[in-house]
Amino acid sequence: MAAQRFTGALLGVVFGFMLTWSGMVDPDVIRGALLFEEAYLFLFMGSAVATASIGLALVRRFQRRAVLVDQPIGWTTERPQRSHLLGSVIFGVGWGVSQACPGPVAAQVGQGVGWALLTLVGIVIGVRIFLVREAHETEPAVDAPQAQAPTSPAAQRREPVPVGVA
Amino acid sequence: MLKEQIAWYIAGPTLGVCVVACRILFNARLGITGGYSELVGKLGRGSFSFDWRGWFALGVAMSGALYLLLNGAARFEGYGWMTRTFEGTGQLWIVPLLVGSGVLIGYGAKLAGGCTSGNGLSGTSSLSPASLAATCTFFGTAIGVATLLEVII
Repeated sequence: MAAQRFTGALLGVVFGFMLTWSGMVDPDVIRGALLFEEAYLFLFMGSAVATASIGLALVRRFQRRAVLVDQPIGWTTERPQRSHLLGSVIFGVGWGVSQACPGPVAAQVGQGVGWALLTLVGIVIGVRIFLVREAHETEPAVDAPQAQAPTSPAAQRREPVPVGVA
Repeated sequence: MLKEQIAWYIAGPTLGVCVVACRILFNARLGITGGYSELVGKLGRGSFSFDWRGWFALGVAMSGALYLLLNGAARFEGYGWMTRTFEGTGQLWIVPLLVGSGVLIGYGAKLAGGCTSGNGLSGTSSLSPASLAATCTFFGTAIGVATLLEVII
Protein backbone atom coordinates (compact mmCIF):
# COMPACT_ATOMS: atom_id res chain seq x y z
CA MET A 1 0.00 0.00 0.00
CA ALA A 2 2.85 2.38 0.79
CA ALA A 3 4.31 1.92 -2.69
CA GLN A 4 0.89 2.60 -4.21
CA ARG A 5 0.40 5.76 -2.18
CA PHE A 6 3.87 7.08 -2.90
CA THR A 7 3.56 6.38 -6.62
CA GLY A 8 0.10 7.96 -6.68
CA ALA A 9 1.44 11.12 -5.06
CA LEU A 10 4.42 11.22 -7.43
CA LEU A 11 2.14 10.86 -10.43
CA GLY A 12 0.06 13.72 -9.01
CA VAL A 13 3.12 15.94 -8.64
CA VAL A 14 4.18 15.39 -12.28
CA PHE A 15 0.61 15.84 -13.54
CA GLY A 16 -0.05 18.95 -11.46
CA PHE A 17 3.31 20.56 -12.22
CA MET A 18 2.57 20.31 -15.94
CA LEU A 19 -0.91 21.76 -15.40
CA THR A 20 0.70 24.69 -13.62
CA TRP A 21 3.62 25.22 -15.97
CA SER A 22 1.32 25.06 -19.00
CA GLY A 23 -0.76 27.86 -17.47
CA MET A 24 -3.91 25.72 -17.22
CA VAL A 25 -4.22 26.82 -13.60
CA ASP A 26 -4.75 30.43 -14.69
CA PRO A 27 -8.48 31.19 -15.20
CA ASP A 28 -7.55 33.77 -17.85
CA VAL A 29 -5.75 31.12 -19.92
CA ILE A 30 -8.86 28.92 -19.77
CA ARG A 31 -10.98 31.95 -20.68
CA GLY A 32 -8.82 32.63 -23.75
CA ALA A 33 -9.28 29.02 -24.84
CA LEU A 34 -13.04 28.89 -24.26
CA LEU A 35 -13.43 32.09 -26.31
CA PHE A 36 -11.23 30.58 -29.06
CA GLU A 37 -8.67 33.35 -28.67
CA GLU A 38 -5.85 30.91 -27.90
CA ALA A 39 -5.25 27.50 -29.49
CA TYR A 40 -2.90 26.31 -26.71
CA LEU A 41 -5.46 24.36 -24.63
CA PHE A 42 -6.73 22.47 -27.67
CA LEU A 43 -3.23 21.60 -28.87
CA PHE A 44 -2.30 20.61 -25.32
CA MET A 45 -5.39 18.42 -24.82
CA GLY A 46 -5.14 17.02 -28.33
CA SER A 47 -1.50 16.01 -27.98
CA ALA A 48 -2.18 14.54 -24.54
CA VAL A 49 -5.08 12.43 -25.85
CA ALA A 50 -3.07 11.37 -28.93
CA THR A 51 -0.11 10.27 -26.78
CA ALA A 52 -2.34 8.47 -24.29
CA SER A 53 -4.36 6.73 -27.03
CA ILE A 54 -1.25 5.30 -28.65
CA GLY A 55 0.24 4.38 -25.28
CA LEU A 56 -2.94 2.69 -24.04
CA ALA A 57 -3.33 0.72 -27.28
CA LEU A 58 0.23 -0.57 -26.89
CA VAL A 59 -0.26 -1.34 -23.19
CA ARG A 60 -3.44 -3.26 -23.93
CA ARG A 61 -1.55 -5.33 -26.48
CA PHE A 62 1.74 -5.98 -24.74
CA GLN A 63 1.44 -5.45 -20.98
CA ARG A 64 -0.18 -8.42 -19.27
CA ARG A 65 -0.39 -7.40 -15.63
CA ALA A 66 -0.44 -4.16 -13.68
CA VAL A 67 2.72 -3.35 -11.74
CA LEU A 68 1.35 -2.22 -8.37
CA VAL A 69 -1.95 -4.10 -8.18
CA ASP A 70 -2.52 -7.80 -8.70
CA GLN A 71 -4.68 -7.45 -11.81
CA PRO A 72 -4.45 -8.17 -15.50
CA ILE A 73 -4.54 -4.97 -17.53
CA GLY A 74 -7.79 -4.32 -19.30
CA TRP A 75 -10.83 -2.09 -19.35
CA THR A 76 -14.33 -1.89 -20.68
CA THR A 77 -16.01 1.18 -22.10
CA GLU A 78 -19.44 2.60 -21.48
CA ARG A 79 -22.19 3.77 -23.79
CA PRO A 80 -23.31 7.36 -23.07
CA GLN A 81 -26.06 7.50 -20.45
CA ARG A 82 -28.22 10.42 -19.40
CA SER A 83 -26.05 10.92 -16.30
CA HIS A 84 -22.92 11.50 -18.41
CA LEU A 85 -24.60 14.28 -20.35
CA LEU A 86 -26.51 15.85 -17.45
CA GLY A 87 -23.44 15.74 -15.20
CA SER A 88 -21.29 17.25 -17.93
CA VAL A 89 -23.71 20.14 -18.46
CA ILE A 90 -23.65 20.87 -14.71
CA PHE A 91 -19.86 20.54 -14.67
CA GLY A 92 -19.54 22.70 -17.79
CA VAL A 93 -21.50 25.56 -16.19
CA GLY A 94 -19.22 25.52 -13.15
CA TRP A 95 -16.13 25.32 -15.33
CA GLY A 96 -17.32 28.11 -17.62
CA VAL A 97 -18.08 30.47 -14.72
CA SER A 98 -15.03 29.81 -12.53
CA GLN A 99 -12.76 28.97 -15.48
CA ALA A 100 -11.08 26.38 -13.29
CA CYS A 101 -11.58 22.62 -12.98
CA PRO A 102 -10.67 20.11 -10.24
CA GLY A 103 -7.00 19.48 -11.16
CA PRO A 104 -6.05 23.14 -11.56
CA VAL A 105 -7.96 24.05 -8.38
CA ALA A 106 -5.86 21.62 -6.33
CA ALA A 107 -2.68 23.07 -7.86
CA GLN A 108 -3.91 26.63 -7.25
CA VAL A 109 -4.45 25.88 -3.57
CA GLY A 110 -0.91 24.45 -3.38
CA GLN A 111 0.41 27.70 -4.85
CA GLY A 112 -1.27 29.65 -2.10
CA VAL A 113 -3.92 31.28 -4.31
CA GLY A 114 -6.44 32.39 -1.69
CA TRP A 115 -9.45 32.60 -4.01
CA ALA A 116 -8.98 28.94 -4.94
CA LEU A 117 -9.97 27.93 -1.41
CA LEU A 118 -13.53 29.04 -2.26
CA THR A 119 -13.64 26.91 -5.40
CA LEU A 120 -12.16 24.02 -3.42
CA VAL A 121 -14.79 24.32 -0.69
CA GLY A 122 -17.48 24.26 -3.39
CA ILE A 123 -16.04 21.14 -5.06
CA VAL A 124 -15.83 19.35 -1.70
CA ILE A 125 -19.48 20.24 -0.97
CA GLY A 126 -20.55 19.08 -4.46
CA VAL A 127 -18.72 15.75 -4.17
CA ARG A 128 -20.08 15.27 -0.65
CA ILE A 129 -23.67 15.90 -1.78
CA PHE A 130 -23.22 13.30 -4.52
CA LEU A 131 -21.71 10.70 -2.18
CA VAL A 132 -24.42 11.17 0.47
CA ARG A 133 -27.23 11.04 -2.11
CA GLU A 134 -25.77 7.97 -3.77
CA ALA A 135 -25.22 6.16 -0.46
CA HIS A 136 -28.82 6.94 0.46
CA GLU A 137 -30.19 5.69 -2.85
CA THR A 138 -28.23 2.45 -2.79
CA GLU A 139 -29.02 1.60 0.83
CA PRO A 140 -30.58 -1.85 0.94
CA ALA A 141 -34.27 -1.33 1.50
CA VAL A 142 -36.00 -4.39 2.91
CA ASP A 143 -39.33 -3.69 1.25
CA ALA A 144 -37.95 -2.73 -2.14
CA PRO A 145 -38.54 -5.22 -4.94
CA GLN A 146 -35.51 -7.01 -6.32
CA ALA A 147 -33.74 -4.97 -8.94
CA GLN A 148 -34.19 -6.44 -12.38
CA ALA A 149 -31.14 -7.85 -14.08
CA PRO A 150 -29.99 -5.67 -16.96
CA THR A 151 -31.25 -7.07 -20.23
CA SER A 152 -30.51 -4.45 -22.88
CA PRO A 153 -27.12 -4.67 -24.59
CA ALA A 154 -26.41 -1.08 -23.54
CA ALA A 155 -27.03 -1.92 -19.90
CA GLN A 156 -24.86 -5.01 -20.07
CA ARG A 157 -22.01 -3.03 -21.53
CA ARG A 158 -22.20 -0.54 -18.72
CA GLU A 159 -19.04 -0.58 -16.63
CA PRO A 160 -19.79 -0.74 -12.90
CA VAL A 161 -18.36 2.44 -11.39
CA PRO A 162 -17.42 1.88 -7.76
CA VAL A 163 -17.89 4.79 -5.35
CA GLY A 164 -14.78 6.89 -5.25
CA VAL A 165 -13.78 6.26 -8.84
CA ALA A 166 -14.41 8.95 -11.38
CA MET B 1 12.00 29.51 -17.39
CA LEU B 2 9.15 28.50 -15.09
CA LYS B 3 7.48 31.87 -15.67
CA GLU B 4 7.02 31.14 -19.35
CA GLN B 5 4.37 28.80 -20.64
CA ILE B 6 5.95 25.43 -21.40
CA ALA B 7 5.41 24.33 -25.02
CA TRP B 8 2.17 22.39 -25.55
CA TYR B 9 4.05 19.62 -27.36
CA ILE B 10 5.97 18.91 -24.14
CA ALA B 11 3.19 19.47 -21.60
CA GLY B 12 0.47 17.59 -23.52
CA PRO B 13 2.41 14.38 -24.19
CA THR B 14 3.67 14.39 -20.57
CA LEU B 15 0.07 14.30 -19.37
CA GLY B 16 -0.58 11.53 -21.88
CA VAL B 17 2.31 9.54 -20.40
CA CYS B 18 0.78 10.02 -16.91
CA VAL B 19 -2.46 8.45 -18.19
CA VAL B 20 -0.57 5.46 -19.61
CA ALA B 21 1.53 5.13 -16.44
CA CYS B 22 -1.64 5.05 -14.35
CA ARG B 23 -2.92 2.14 -16.45
CA ILE B 24 0.36 0.22 -16.26
CA LEU B 25 0.80 0.79 -12.52
CA PHE B 26 -2.74 0.58 -11.18
CA ASN B 27 -4.80 -0.71 -14.11
CA ALA B 28 -6.94 2.37 -13.52
CA ARG B 29 -8.19 5.41 -15.30
CA LEU B 30 -6.38 8.54 -14.24
CA GLY B 31 -8.83 11.12 -12.90
CA ILE B 32 -8.54 13.84 -10.30
CA THR B 33 -12.22 13.77 -9.34
CA GLY B 34 -11.74 10.19 -8.14
CA GLY B 35 -9.03 11.54 -5.84
CA TYR B 36 -11.31 14.26 -4.45
CA SER B 37 -13.99 11.64 -3.94
CA GLU B 38 -11.61 9.38 -2.02
CA LEU B 39 -10.49 12.27 0.22
CA VAL B 40 -14.02 13.57 0.85
CA GLY B 41 -15.42 10.08 1.45
CA LYS B 42 -12.67 9.00 3.86
CA LEU B 43 -12.55 12.29 5.76
CA GLY B 44 -16.34 12.13 6.10
CA ARG B 45 -15.86 8.84 7.96
CA GLY B 46 -13.03 10.30 10.05
CA SER B 47 -10.36 8.26 8.28
CA PHE B 48 -7.04 9.51 6.98
CA SER B 49 -6.01 6.27 5.33
CA PHE B 50 -6.36 7.41 1.72
CA ASP B 51 -5.68 5.10 -1.20
CA TRP B 52 -3.44 6.07 -4.12
CA ARG B 53 -6.23 8.10 -5.73
CA GLY B 54 -6.43 10.34 -2.70
CA TRP B 55 -2.66 10.67 -2.73
CA PHE B 56 -2.75 11.50 -6.42
CA ALA B 57 -5.00 14.50 -5.64
CA LEU B 58 -2.73 15.50 -2.75
CA GLY B 59 0.23 15.18 -5.13
CA VAL B 60 -1.40 17.67 -7.52
CA ALA B 61 -1.77 20.11 -4.61
CA MET B 62 1.87 19.46 -3.63
CA SER B 63 2.94 20.23 -7.20
CA GLY B 64 1.51 23.71 -6.73
CA ALA B 65 3.61 24.16 -3.60
CA LEU B 66 6.67 22.90 -5.47
CA TYR B 67 6.05 25.39 -8.27
CA LEU B 68 5.66 28.18 -5.72
CA LEU B 69 8.95 27.16 -4.11
CA LEU B 70 10.91 27.00 -7.38
CA ASN B 71 9.33 30.02 -9.07
CA GLY B 72 9.02 32.23 -6.01
CA ALA B 73 5.47 33.23 -6.94
CA ALA B 74 2.19 31.66 -8.02
CA ARG B 75 1.59 31.19 -11.74
CA PHE B 76 -0.95 34.04 -11.86
CA GLU B 77 -2.50 36.83 -9.82
CA GLY B 78 -6.14 37.47 -9.00
CA TYR B 79 -8.74 34.97 -10.25
CA GLY B 80 -9.57 35.71 -13.87
CA TRP B 81 -12.58 37.81 -14.82
CA MET B 82 -13.98 37.84 -11.30
CA THR B 83 -11.21 39.86 -9.65
CA ARG B 84 -11.13 42.21 -12.69
CA THR B 85 -14.86 42.78 -12.66
CA PHE B 86 -15.54 43.13 -8.95
CA GLU B 87 -13.66 45.68 -6.86
CA GLY B 88 -13.72 46.77 -3.22
CA THR B 89 -16.69 45.39 -1.30
CA GLY B 90 -18.11 44.18 -4.63
CA GLN B 91 -15.56 41.38 -4.35
CA LEU B 92 -17.93 39.73 -1.88
CA TRP B 93 -19.83 38.56 -4.99
CA ILE B 94 -16.87 36.34 -5.77
CA VAL B 95 -17.58 34.20 -2.70
CA PRO B 96 -20.96 32.78 -3.82
CA LEU B 97 -19.78 32.68 -7.46
CA LEU B 98 -16.75 30.53 -6.72
CA VAL B 99 -18.35 28.32 -4.08
CA GLY B 100 -21.39 27.86 -6.33
CA SER B 101 -19.24 27.02 -9.34
CA GLY B 102 -17.32 24.57 -7.21
CA VAL B 103 -20.50 22.78 -6.12
CA LEU B 104 -21.56 22.43 -9.76
CA ILE B 105 -18.07 21.22 -10.72
CA GLY B 106 -17.91 18.64 -7.93
CA TYR B 107 -21.44 17.31 -8.27
CA GLY B 108 -21.45 17.42 -12.07
CA ALA B 109 -18.11 15.65 -12.40
CA LYS B 110 -19.24 12.87 -10.07
CA LEU B 111 -22.54 12.44 -11.90
CA ALA B 112 -20.79 12.43 -15.29
CA GLY B 113 -18.23 9.88 -14.06
CA GLY B 114 -15.29 12.22 -14.54
CA CYS B 115 -13.99 15.71 -15.14
CA THR B 116 -11.54 17.18 -17.63
CA SER B 117 -8.96 14.56 -16.66
CA GLY B 118 -11.11 11.46 -16.08
CA ASN B 119 -13.43 11.85 -19.06
CA GLY B 120 -11.66 14.46 -21.20
CA LEU B 121 -8.20 12.96 -21.09
CA SER B 122 -8.24 9.35 -19.89
CA GLY B 123 -11.72 8.35 -20.97
CA THR B 124 -11.39 9.63 -24.51
CA SER B 125 -7.99 7.99 -24.96
CA SER B 126 -9.50 4.71 -23.72
CA LEU B 127 -11.96 5.19 -26.61
CA SER B 128 -14.97 5.29 -24.30
CA PRO B 129 -18.09 6.59 -26.11
CA ALA B 130 -19.50 7.85 -22.80
CA SER B 131 -16.36 9.90 -22.11
CA LEU B 132 -16.36 11.29 -25.62
CA ALA B 133 -19.99 12.37 -25.24
CA ALA B 134 -19.27 13.83 -21.79
CA THR B 135 -16.23 15.73 -23.08
CA CYS B 136 -18.10 17.26 -26.02
CA THR B 137 -20.92 18.21 -23.64
CA PHE B 138 -18.81 19.94 -21.01
CA PHE B 139 -16.63 21.70 -23.56
CA GLY B 140 -19.72 22.92 -25.44
CA THR B 141 -21.39 24.06 -22.22
CA ALA B 142 -18.28 25.85 -20.89
CA ILE B 143 -17.71 27.58 -24.25
CA GLY B 144 -21.34 28.75 -24.22
CA VAL B 145 -21.15 29.98 -20.61
CA ALA B 146 -17.81 31.77 -21.12
CA THR B 147 -19.14 33.47 -24.25
CA LEU B 148 -22.32 34.50 -22.45
CA LEU B 149 -20.23 35.96 -19.60
CA GLU B 150 -18.28 38.08 -22.08
CA VAL B 151 -21.53 39.51 -23.40
CA ILE B 152 -22.86 40.29 -19.91
CA ILE B 153 -19.77 41.80 -18.26
